[in-house]
Amino acid sequence: MWKWKRKEKSSTEQTQQKSKQKKSLTEFIQSLQNSEDFVCYSLGGENECTISYIKTMSDSKILNRSVLPILNDGIFQSIEEIKQNIPVENMTVTEDIDLIQEKVMFGYIMIQLSNSAKEVLLIPAVSLEARQVSIPEVEFSVVGPKEAFVETLNTNINLIRKRLPLPQLTIKELTIGKVTKTRVAVIFVDGVVDPKNVETVTQRLEDIEFDQLIDSSFISQILADNSNSPFPQFLDTERPDRVVSNLIEGKVAIMADGAPHALTCPTTVVELFGASDDYFVPWHLATVFRLIRLFAVIFSVLSTPLYVAVLTYHHEMIPGELMATIVSSRADIPFPPILEVIVLELTIELLREAGARLPTKIGQTIGIVGGIVIGTAAVDAGLTSNVLLIIVALSALASFTTPIYQIGNTIRLIRFPFIIGAQMWGLIGVSMCMVFFIGHLVKLQSIGRPFFEPIYPLRVHDLKDSFVRLPFSKQTERPTLMRTKDSQRMDASRANAKRDIDE
Amino acid sequence: MNKLNNTNSLDIPENYLVTPMYVFFLIHSMQIGVGILGFEKYLVEKAGYDAWISILIAGVFLHLILWMIYRLLQNGGGDIVQIHKNVFGKYIGGFLSLVFSLYFLLLTFTVIITFIEVIKVWVFPSLQVWIFVFVLLSLVYYLVSGGFRVITGVCLISVFIGLPLLLLKYFPVQAGHSLNVYPVISHSVTDILAATKQSILSFIGLEFLLIYYPFIKNPAKSKKWAHFAVFYTTMIYLISLIVTFVYFSEEQLKQVLWGTISAWKIVEFPFIERFEYVGIAMWLYVILPNICLGLWGATRIPKRLFNIKQKYVLIAFILVLFFPAAILEGRPVIDAVNNLSGQAGFYVLLYIPVLLVLKTISDKVRKKREG
Repeated sequence: MWKWKRKEKSSTEQTQQKSKQKKSLTEFIQSLQNSEDFVCYSLGGENECTISYIKTMSDSKILNRSVLPILNDGIFQSIEEIKQNIPVENMTVTEDIDLIQEKVMFGYIMIQLSNSAKEVLLIPAVSLEARQVSIPEVEFSVVGPKEAFVETLNTNINLIRKRLPLPQLTIKELTIGKVTKTRVAVIFVDGVVDPKNVETVTQRLEDIEFDQLIDSSFISQILADNSNSPFPQFLDTERPDRVVSNLIEGKVAIMADGAPHALTCPTTVVELFGASDDYFVPWHLATVFRLIRLFAVIFSVLSTPLYVAVLTYHHEMIPGELMATIVSSRADIPFPPILEVIVLELTIELLREAGARLPTKIGQTIGIVGGIVIGTAAVDAGLTSNVLLIIVALSALASFTTPIYQIGNTIRLIRFPFIIGAQMWGLIGVSMCMVFFIGHLVKLQSIGRPFFEPIYPLRVHDLKDSFVRLPFSKQTERPTLMRTKDSQRMDASRANAKRDIDE
Repeated sequence: MNKLNNTNSLDIPENYLVTPMYVFFLIHSMQIGVGILGFEKYLVEKAGYDAWISILIAGVFLHLILWMIYRLLQNGGGDIVQIHKNVFGKYIGGFLSLVFSLYFLLLTFTVIITFIEVIKVWVFPSLQVWIFVFVLLSLVYYLVSGGFRVITGVCLISVFIGLPLLLLKYFPVQAGHSLNVYPVISHSVTDILAATKQSILSFIGLEFLLIYYPFIKNPAKSKKWAHFAVFYTTMIYLISLIVTFVYFSEEQLKQVLWGTISAWKIVEFPFIERFEYVGIAMWLYVILPNICLGLWGATRIPKRLFNIKQKYVLIAFILVLFFPAAILEGRPVIDAVNNLSGQAGFYVLLYIPVLLVLKTISDKVRKKREG
């Protein structure tokens, strides 16, 4: 129902905008002249043409070196003649006011033969400010490539293309955002990717009705199959190498201009716990690290709820010797376990949020001061127990092991329903919450593909690169999830050929 | 006739189908439920330590029933509703299908109240039952509204989560006396058969195949998985029974209501003991497929019969379950409900051969008429 409402609204908006755009070239110039950085002047001399451009967006070097000398030297009868003489690539002659507006706003130089002429020449002279390509900060890795995406789409695509010199690497561009007119690129390897996935992504992108598109995370929220889910349904990465390896697996990548991140889809919950480091170290190490990460996540979500459940309802479960330790640390504490846990968890969240908002150097200090000072003080004052402090600190630490930032946030959040469940019905409450989240994951989809794959639907083949990572020689096929057109990665028989002794 | 066929056509879109392998999980997870937590007592009452033979006989019987179910479905044109309609006509057939729906609902109800009983006896004696039932049923609604594929996923995960619990059988075996099982066969055939009937009650659940059969891709290939599932369930029951025999003495076992849970009590690790709390909490995963698939089956039949939205039926049935489950309590009532659903299940299983015979006759008659 809500989609239907949205459509109706958008259609009225569209008609409004259309009527707005029907203005003439002179009106467009007039509206621009309100801004100080818009330059528009008539060239004296034999050619009485008008040059207009936005000073802050255009590169004056091109104007001075390639355009003005030609215009001053020769005599031109038509706009086409000028076009032939100016040595700049990719110029257009047009009357289309929409195109003119779009290009001039991007920094093109507009030349009219006379003030009233409708036909104009557009010369590309875009000057874009771009950050240098730097090392990845969110997904840092010790070994492996150290390039991260920047805010310019062209640079980002360059980073991908240079790793994938393949004519089949296709880039479709769309303009999204009613006001921001952001360039969005859909990137895929033709011949590997399932065309249905590309179709779904493009379709959904085209359906976006929103005025602004500041970052790619806007896309991931709008495009999500279930936008009420705490789980990210797109993999959000800042590493070009990761995007390239995903593209080769048959995934689709989405990049927006102005966003230093790429989204790849379809993704699975397991993939969100994989780091690119896993592919840079030998497979046994990678497997162990992955399992440690999985354990860390489970620990991070379940440790405090289990503390609440066991201490509130099931003391009998703790063996005698361990009970002594816990009792002695909790003897002076006036609060029930649930209150103790919630206070401490909220403190940790507070520290984390404060650390994230402050500049890096102060942030670190806040973390240390907050962690050590507040933690010790709370224990000394008898507000929380030592045991719980250890558990909470460990679970906070464990939640940082997730390589993808977005899933880390999810883990931060989903702990709280578990704590409430534990307070209500002890272990049974925890297991009820777990059932809910597992059911939710089973239901969830990423652009129409199951999000809980390879566990359900159970695909033994895809398990080779999920909780464990088997050696490359065993990964002879691309993941089944993507339904790739070409599923073979290599010639399996040659890769795994057995050789006899001394052969 | 043509028009009727159209309205009942069972062309389920491919993206709602599951592969044959999942039949294993669907059948197995449906067969294992609350029954296995305390089935030993009832068997021992009938056949003493010879009850393991009864389990084996029951297993063989179930393989036979499964074979018949496949025979029924193979050329039945869909599910039980269609078969009933073809054999008995629209009204009687529809009525019989409704009986099946009610039977599925009864099974669901039994599982819910028995599990609540377990929680009340073992964990929370003063549990606020209606809140618990409310949360549980909301959860079930969330899962069932996801459709058959989601339910299959729940079955799969329940089997995986239930697996580690099997390893706990090691502890009672270590503490028990394996000589308990001897001497073999000291009971009469009638005793053993009585225990067989009793044990079949724990095995019911495979009749749901009658309703989800059209959701299986290449159903013919699912046969081996289905038989494998029944075999696996039989083995699990057999192992559970023997472990309980080894751990408890025959006289004691007659007094123990929840044999398996009692055996969990002795599990001990350096950081945790009294494992029955963990066991019961994890048992939620094991009973969840029972409730979900039960409700799905119960609501699917009215949808097929009257062409009403399954969502509405689901809400109605959940309300029907909610009030009695929130109110009923006490061992006698729960025993009665368990007996009732056990009897019903037994007759449903016996009804399958009858239906097969009737269907074969009606098919032959129809063929003659057409030929």
